[in-house]
Amino acid sequence: MKSDTTLMGCLLLAVAQLAQAEPPRLSLKGFGTAVAVGSNTDRIGFRRDLSQEVGARRHGGFDPDSRFGLQLDLDFGDAWHAGIQWVARSHPGDFVEQNLDWAYLRWRPRPDLDVRLGRLGFDVFWLSDYRNVGYAYPWIRPPHEFYGGIPAYHFDGADIAKKFGVGDGFLTVKVFGGRAFYQVPAALSQTFDSVSLLAGGSIVYEQGDWRARLGYVHTEAQSDPPLQGLVAALHDPRVRLLWPGGVAVADRFRVRGTVVQYSSLGLGYDDGSWLAQLEAAYIDSNLPFYPSGANGYLSLGRRVGPVTLYTLLGIAETFKDPVPVSQPLLPVPALVGFRDTVDAILNGNGIDQKSISLGVRWDLHENIALKAQWSHYWLGQNGTQLWQEPFLGSTPREVDLWSVGVDFLF
Amino acid sequence: MNWKPLPPVLLLLSSAAAADVAVIANVRNPLDGLTGKQVQDIFLGRTRSFPNDRFALPIDQSSPLRSEFYQRLTGRSLEQINAYWARILFTGQASPPLRVPDDAAVLRTIRENEGAIGYIDKSQADGSVRVLLILP
Repeated sequence: MKSDTTLMGCLLLAVAQLAQAEPPRLSLKGFGTAVAVGSNTDRIGFRRDLSQEVGARRHGGFDPDSRFGLQLDLDFGDAWHAGIQWVARSHPGDFVEQNLDWAYLRWRPRPDLDVRLGRLGFDVFWLSDYRNVGYAYPWIRPPHEFYGGIPAYHFDGADIAKKFGVGDGFLTVKVFGGRAFYQVPAALSQTFDSVSLLAGGSIVYEQGDWRARLGYVHTEAQSDPPLQGLVAALHDPRVRLLWPGGVAVADRFRVRGTVVQYSSLGLGYDDGSWLAQLEAAYIDSNLPFYPSGANGYLSLGRRVGPVTLYTLLGIAETFKDPVPVSQPLLPVPALVGFRDTVDAILNGNGIDQKSISLGVRWDLHENIALKAQWSHYWLGQNGTQLWQEPFLGSTPREVDLWSVGVDFLF
Repeated sequence: MNWKPLPPVLLLLSSAAAADVAVIANVRNPLDGLTGKQVQDIFLGRTRSFPNDRFALPIDQSSPLRSEFYQRLTGRSLEQINAYWARILFTGQASPPLRVPDDAAVLRTIRENEGAIGYIDKSQADGSVRVLLILP
């Protein structure tokens, strides 16, 4: 955390010096979303992504999707800019620090080159750095199969983006790197303070109504989940006496040093009346609780006046062989319970999910959009990691989810 | 819609409501003109410079002409334009064009800034600015 404080201190100093050189142009803008979401079951809770702990059930709730963001922009002439964005949203992490998504200084030495330093949005997939800005996309939320698996919203570091005119369009090449600190709900404790180093890049080509994107991010975990108690228990001589196979899986709880790589491609079309978007990704992971997998979505929409009707198909599958967890020699209830907990943590993290959604966006007034969406989910065995699962026990095979809400800008 | 010949008064009204929009720049801007696509690229923030690589400063306005301008230039409504800019603004890439109240303010800003580019009702364009494109 010390390096973060030093970085922020340097940024503040730089902004203060810029402000002395030239009075900045200041602007305060914001966005918000209020969504009621509910399902047809109490056996599993719907959450927007892995950063959340409490999901919506049969009686519905406002927590998963509702949020409120404020952004302060400071312009110092044409070349220097500072921006801060803070977004109130529901998750068990630190409400002040974790909700600070952007705090950066931008230097634009030429019109086609941007260099940014500070806290930046996590640009792993197309929508990942504006997931919170509902007004900017047609759906009630970013496609769940694709974006539900990313708990990180920001990182501290730098990025460089260069724009080139290519043919009739524009090619933007961006590289970035830094350190991400985010808090996610964890088994057997409140939150897991996850730290990882990351580096990546993207290539975006825009021409007329078309947009294409290729992205890659490499991350390396720098922290271990708070499961020391569990690992110590597996090594305990008394436990080993009655459950000799238990210690064999003790090393599976190590996270530090493991690598996750995200590769993705996206294609979008929007001519003002018709819109289409697809993204596909492959996630290569050595992280024991976040198995490798592939996901994708396809959306088609038609805009008539202020109303947009859309459909969305999503799929996410993890590829993982279950870790064999042996049985204790004697069926002591406490030990069998412990064994089942170990099994659930190691093996209950797959994603096997498909969904179809139908929805409508109604641009009621400039900067206010009403949305409604119905989704039907098919959930495979051991494949409900994106949801708030019962720790032990069965999950439903199909879920209907309804959502109604409003997005606004100001 | 207009199959039947309209009475002269209505014709006048309809032409006033759908006046041509002139895209204008500073008189010292050496460009002879721009295509619709080039103006679109500047106003949607895809490029920050003119085709001759000079820095471009797009000036928007808050009057009802704004909706006409974007509809004619891009075929999109203000809601769609605002949604487009929300993505760019809230990801720290750029800010939407500076907005001034009306034609008079646009003219003033264009005269004062060599790199500025704006749009006004065509009937308001005079010799103090350079017309780069007419959007009929």
